[in-house]
Amino acid sequence: MKGFLGEFEELVLLTIANLGVDAYGVSILKDINERANRNLSIGGLHSTLTRLEEKGYLTSALGEPTNERGGRRKRYFELTASGISGLVDMKSLRDELWKNAKVNLSI
Amino acid sequence: MSLHSDHKYPKWGVKLLKWWSKNAEIEDLLGDLEECYFDHISSKGKALAHLYYIRQVVSLLASYTLNKRRKDAKLKVYFTPTTISMIHNYTIVALRNFKRHKVFTTLNLVGLALGMSISLLAISVILAVFDLDEFHTKKDRIYQIGTIIKDDQGTRQYASTYNAMANYLASNYPFIESTVRVKSGFSPTVDHRGSEVPLDGYYADPSFLQVLDFPLLYGDPATALSKPNSIVLTQSAAALLFTIENPTGLLITTDQGDFQVTGVIVDPKQSHFYFQALTSFNTHTTANSSTPMEHDWQHFYRNYLFLMLKEGTSPTAMTSALQNAEKITAERNPELAISFVSVALTDLVPSWNVYHSLGLDWDLYGMLFFVGIGLLVLLPAVFNYINLSLARALKRAKEIGIRKVMGAEKFQIKMQFLVETILLSLLSLIGAVLIFMLIKDQFIDMMIGGETLNISLNVITVSSFAAFAIFIGVISGIIPAYYFAQLDPIVTLKGGSPKSGTSISMLKKSLFVFQFGLSLIFMIGVGAIVHTYSYALDYNHGFDSENILVVPLHGINKEVALQELATQPQVRSISTSSNLPGVMLPTALEVLPNATDTMSIGQVFIGSGFVENLQMELAWGTTGSEQQSSFNEEVVLVNRKFMEARRIFGDTPDSLVFKTSDGRNCKIVGILKNFNFEPLNEEIAPIVFRYSLEQSNYALLTLQPTDIRSTISDLDAIWTSIDQKVPFQSYFLKDEVEKAYQYIIIQFKIFVFLSLLAITISCLGLLGMVAFNTENRTKEIAIRKILGATNKSLYIVLSKEFLKIIIVAVMFAVPFSYFFYDKLFLPMLMKNSAGLGILEVIVGVVVLLSMGLTAIYFQTSKVANTNPANSLRTE
Repeated sequence: MKGFLGEFEELVLLTIANLGVDAYGVSILKDINERANRNLSIGGLHSTLTRLEEKGYLTSALGEPTNERGGRRKRYFELTASGISGLVDMKSLRDELWKNAKVNLSI
Repeated sequence: MSLHSDHKYPKWGVKLLKWWSKNAEIEDLLGDLEECYFDHISSKGKALAHLYYIRQVVSLLASYTLNKRRKDAKLKVYFTPTTISMIHNYTIVALRNFKRHKVFTTLNLVGLALGMSISLLAISVILAVFDLDEFHTKKDRIYQIGTIIKDDQGTRQYASTYNAMANYLASNYPFIESTVRVKSGFSPTVDHRGSEVPLDGYYADPSFLQVLDFPLLYGDPATALSKPNSIVLTQSAAALLFTIENPTGLLITTDQGDFQVTGVIVDPKQSHFYFQALTSFNTHTTANSSTPMEHDWQHFYRNYLFLMLKEGTSPTAMTSALQNAEKITAERNPELAISFVSVALTDLVPSWNVYHSLGLDWDLYGMLFFVGIGLLVLLPAVFNYINLSLARALKRAKEIGIRKVMGAEKFQIKMQFLVETILLSLLSLIGAVLIFMLIKDQFIDMMIGGETLNISLNVITVSSFAAFAIFIGVISGIIPAYYFAQLDPIVTLKGGSPKSGTSISMLKKSLFVFQFGLSLIFMIGVGAIVHTYSYALDYNHGFDSENILVVPLHGINKEVALQELATQPQVRSISTSSNLPGVMLPTALEVLPNATDTMSIGQVFIGSGFVENLQMELAWGTTGSEQQSSFNEEVVLVNRKFMEARRIFGDTPDSLVFKTSDGRNCKIVGILKNFNFEPLNEEIAPIVFRYSLEQSNYALLTLQPTDIRSTISDLDAIWTSIDQKVPFQSYFLKDEVEKAYQYIIIQFKIFVFLSLLAITISCLGLLGMVAFNTENRTKEIAIRKILGATNKSLYIVLSKEFLKIIIVAVMFAVPFSYFFYDKLFLPMLMKNSAGLGILEVIVGVVVLLSMGLTAIYFQTSKVANTNPANSLRTE
């Protein structure tokens, strides 16, 4: 296990998993901004994406040229096996903590 | 998105990001930025979207992603695993290009080879000079003590030091293993079977041969320099004086007494010590026993001191010793600020601003001058390359366009061009080395002390040559490389000519102007030197040298010889003298103009009839040859300068009488007009002419100008009848006078060679430029012809531009050469020179113009004479 995922990193990875094949910069940004009610910048998001890619949780590839965006290609992101296991590890840790909680966490 | 057309997308952010990211790929980021911007416009309106845009650009600029990609891209371009194969590919492309453009390649190869040859000379000389004295095994421990004197005229560093210094340091500081005193100015004239052989060398301590690694062929290094009047000769000096190989123990007779040869030394090579003979230091001290050296803190002229420290002594130990010595000198010379320095043996040359250096003075200034000349000749060749490459831009633009479309980045295009030029300059290095080998010996002979330098091709020189060639390749390739790298592939592929903005054509023009100006300056230099030389020979020195035969009178009964030689009917008159006019005259006589002062002046011993014989003019009095000198009053002649020089010392009761320092009274009976007894580059100096047959060395015979050869053989026969042991020698005074100006011939050779190089290179460049220019205008010329243009008008059209360039070059080169030659160079060459004449300038301009026009004519006639139908039909 390559270190723990940060909260935001986990959020980004899960968003990518939710978006499936349509996970590229703008779609991820919009999704996070809507769901988590954040005001995230493009530079901030891409920085995180690049770090995750460096850690091996993500891979990316350029798509086909589009008619929008001045003909520029999109970079699509995909979870790797270690990305998935990282998420699973995070979740099991969290589940364990929920289960063993001495305080009643239900509302 | 339909909104795209409604709103203008702000481009500045894109540009900023692209600029910041350099070569990195950021297409996806820019795409995201644009998409988000238009999303915002549709939801929040233009103003907010714009604010949002600014924020996003800033966030991207600062983002980890962009900066990482930027860094990666930089690394990627420089160090891809394919770099080697790329260079391989560039090399192949370059070679193909060379093959295809043979004219271009040959022009540049020849130009660069010629241009580089002089620089190679400079490099090899500099390498050799920096390597001087490295062969001494104890070099790390040997230091020279120099003297720094500060007075109101400034600070000067001398290589020499006080006489007393050696004794003071050696007796007070035990860390000094040995001291070597060297005194220059040992210049005896050896009497060698009737002819004089001048030697030049040093007075040196016996330790000289132990501290420094000058191996003795014969003799014992420990004792060779210990006794007074012993002499160690170099191998070449020994060969000059003796026929046998080992002359140790033999005596030689000189004007400074007899010397016993105690050793033969290998000729000094790769050293700044420059001598033909060494004599023991105590030869000097015995000859001048009046001044005890151990206490002489006054004189440092020609007195050099080398120290060898004991092993393991730090050089800083000397500092305090020298500071203590400074205290002593400060006491004795309170008006001067004197300090001492120690200079390591290997750091002595090249020297910078050191006065009175011992031996060969390879000063840095001279080195830089040499390098400057080398580069000056190389520059036109570099300019040729730049010009011709840019001229070819039209042809290569398509190639660059395709390369760019295939994905070549600017850096790669630049690399391609640099590899090409480096390859070209390496190829021309081969030619340059060949030229270098050819001219090397000639040039080295012209340098003073050049024969001591070891200049050969070895690993160090060859690798420095290669480094130099690569450097030149980069220098000449960088401008074309940048030019080609910025070409727009779309424009070039569409067939439009690459934008040859005014900057490029201005650059080309100014490079051309420089080339031609330089050639002209060199050519005017050739003319100026020829002019100066003929001026010196034709100049009326104030004495007659025509038809005067000089016969050295050595080892023969002078009186008998004169009488007998005068009997030859072709000899009009005969006289004698100790020194020849037109040759340097050493100052030899001390004159006491009043009770306290002395002045050093030149003296010449003459025989009766000398003044008449050489047709010198008297300003006052008589030649005095009839008057007899009495024991206490000697009859002398002086020149006017003498009277002027004497007047400075104040009036005397009788200005025609003076005393010499050896106690003789002299009476002036005649004053000669000022004339150049010495060569023209010497100022006219005060001279005293004394009558003495004993001191005269030469007989001067004025001959009838007819049948000189048989006259000389008659004289030879007469001479032999007097004394058969001494061979008859003779030469003409005129030749001897000419010898004094030999150095101008050397300058002349150098200038002719340099200007030939510069002119050749410039003409090559011009030829190439005209060729490309006319080639590009083939169609234009065909159309002009069809429309009825005559050949004459075509020549005008084609050569107009180049003529303009040449004229501009003339306009800047002529004033410059006037200033340079008239004010700087010629006065340096000869003090009383004639200056720069108008004729040299005109000849230079005419030669340049005709060279340039011939080059233009050749090319244009080729194009102008082709059938216009042919040139229009072919694409």
